[in-house]
Amino acid sequence: MNILQIVQILINGLALGSVYALIATGFSVIFNVLKFSNFSHGALMTLSAFVGYFLAASQGMGLVPTILVSMVCGALVALLGELVAFRRITVRNSPNIYFFVSSITLGTLFEGIVTIWVGANFFSYPRFFPNPTIKLGDLTISTSSLIMFLLSAAALIILAFVIQKTKLGRALRSVSFDRDTSSLMGINVTRTIQFAFIVSGALAGLAGVFLGINYTLYPTLGSLVVKGFIASVIGGLGSLPGAVIGAVLLGLVETGLNYAGTLQGFGTSYTPVFTFLIMLVFLLVRPRGIAGSNIQEKA
Amino acid sequence: MALLEVKNIYKSFGGVKAIQDFSLEANTGEIHGIIGPNGAGKTTIFNVISGVYPADEGSVHLDGQDVTKMEQYKITRLGMGRTFQNIRLFKGLTVLENVLCAFDPQSHYSLLGGLLPLPNRFKEEKRGREICEHHLETVGLQDYLDEKPENLSYGIQRRLEIARALTCNPKVLLLDEPAAGLNPTEVGELTELIQMLSSTMDLAILLIEHRLELVMSISHTIHVQNFGKTIAVGTPAEVQHNPEVIEAYLGKEDE
Repeated sequence: MNILQIVQILINGLALGSVYALIATGFSVIFNVLKFSNFSHGALMTLSAFVGYFLAASQGMGLVPTILVSMVCGALVALLGELVAFRRITVRNSPNIYFFVSSITLGTLFEGIVTIWVGANFFSYPRFFPNPTIKLGDLTISTSSLIMFLLSAAALIILAFVIQKTKLGRALRSVSFDRDTSSLMGINVTRTIQFAFIVSGALAGLAGVFLGINYTLYPTLGSLVVKGFIASVIGGLGSLPGAVIGAVLLGLVETGLNYAGTLQGFGTSYTPVFTFLIMLVFLLVRPRGIAGSNIQEKA
Repeated sequence: MALLEVKNIYKSFGGVKAIQDFSLEANTGEIHGIIGPNGAGKTTIFNVISGVYPADEGSVHLDGQDVTKMEQYKITRLGMGRTFQNIRLFKGLTVLENVLCAFDPQSHYSLLGGLLPLPNRFKEEKRGREICEHHLETVGLQDYLDEKPENLSYGIQRRLEIARALTCNPKVLLLDEPAAGLNPTEVGELTELIQMLSSTMDLAILLIEHRLELVMSISHTIHVQNFGKTIAVGTPAEVQHNPEVIEAYLGKEDE
């Protein structure tokens, strides 16, 4: 194994990790604000990816319109989901378990809609790039990986900026901390929660398209949300920087393990075993994750 | 019509009658003290006025508008600011950000402006920063802008809550035990601060407080609550000599 291969693994790992980061942050934004794991996030990714496929990609449009259609779809469906499944629970301050049940139901509904709509068939996005790989000296980088990495990074940087530097982000952070007090300071809590769902849904749409490019489109594609979940546990549930760190680590570890597995001749089938082991170790040894320091107080 | 008109409000929680027939009229420039033993329903009065929960009966009018059943954030935007008995700052946000949160509902840029770097956003963020820094200076916290509130002393946290409430542009300011947990020096400074706010800003102040020397020295009118009922209303001097008040505070004398 030479330097070149290590660099190759790093690049591929980063690309994979950045997609996981999109999933994990989309998931964490909602966890932050409403303190529950949104199990409909995966199915929302699938739904948005399919809408992008049928409305844009299969009409001959390129990658950018497809992504935009998927993101808008994700945001709108997430907003609708908030209204139908979560609004009353929030307003009544009902126990958290209702959120879990509601989100599982909503996810099953989305998945059902997709299955009825497309059947159990596999679809794949057309080839968006004329050259599947880019050569940089001796390095071969897949064009789609590179684009995924760049777009994910851009989306996450914009999100970080909005959360740190704008009133939308401050409202999100204060509502995450204390809904009642925020409201008494004049913040429209319902609007802020809607904003969280818009962000989460748009990220789901973006991640959905990338997953579709990576693995083809099928109705249970959204089960890959579990990678985002692992990433946010490793990084610290509810912490957005933690989610990104966890996702990148997970991407690197998976790529490394896949490579090592292929080298040793038993393929990639052991990789999930190891990644779940890592998550279990984290839950046992450091349940608050890498960056989550005050989760006890938040929960 | 008075700036704040609270008319005959009632509030019960199950069998507990937290407020029975409470009324109050406050105008700009006035300081109203609300005193009474623990559990007398003082904070419940604030919660009803600021819209945390609606009154069972009775009405609350702010500046001529009926706010009895209005949502909290709308009441705040009409001109109601408050602080809390158990300090409720946003931990994890800096001192400046805590105050900015209260300014943000007044700042004029949209969702799109938040996502795209339009000039309007920078202008509004700058305006907000200036206003917030001004209010922080008013309460004497200009040197703590980037600190996290959880690392600061109780006295400073209480002042920060006041700055945050001022940023809501209140016509009525509700202070819920602002002196709790403060040392005598800090209580003195707080007394001066409240008097200064009352005389320099267009505010009616309602003050819940256990430190009688503070309430008595600055209030124009005192409302004494006991078991949800108002047992006396009047100037500090009148209230201090009221036998019912003395009984509520010191117990009944054996005859």
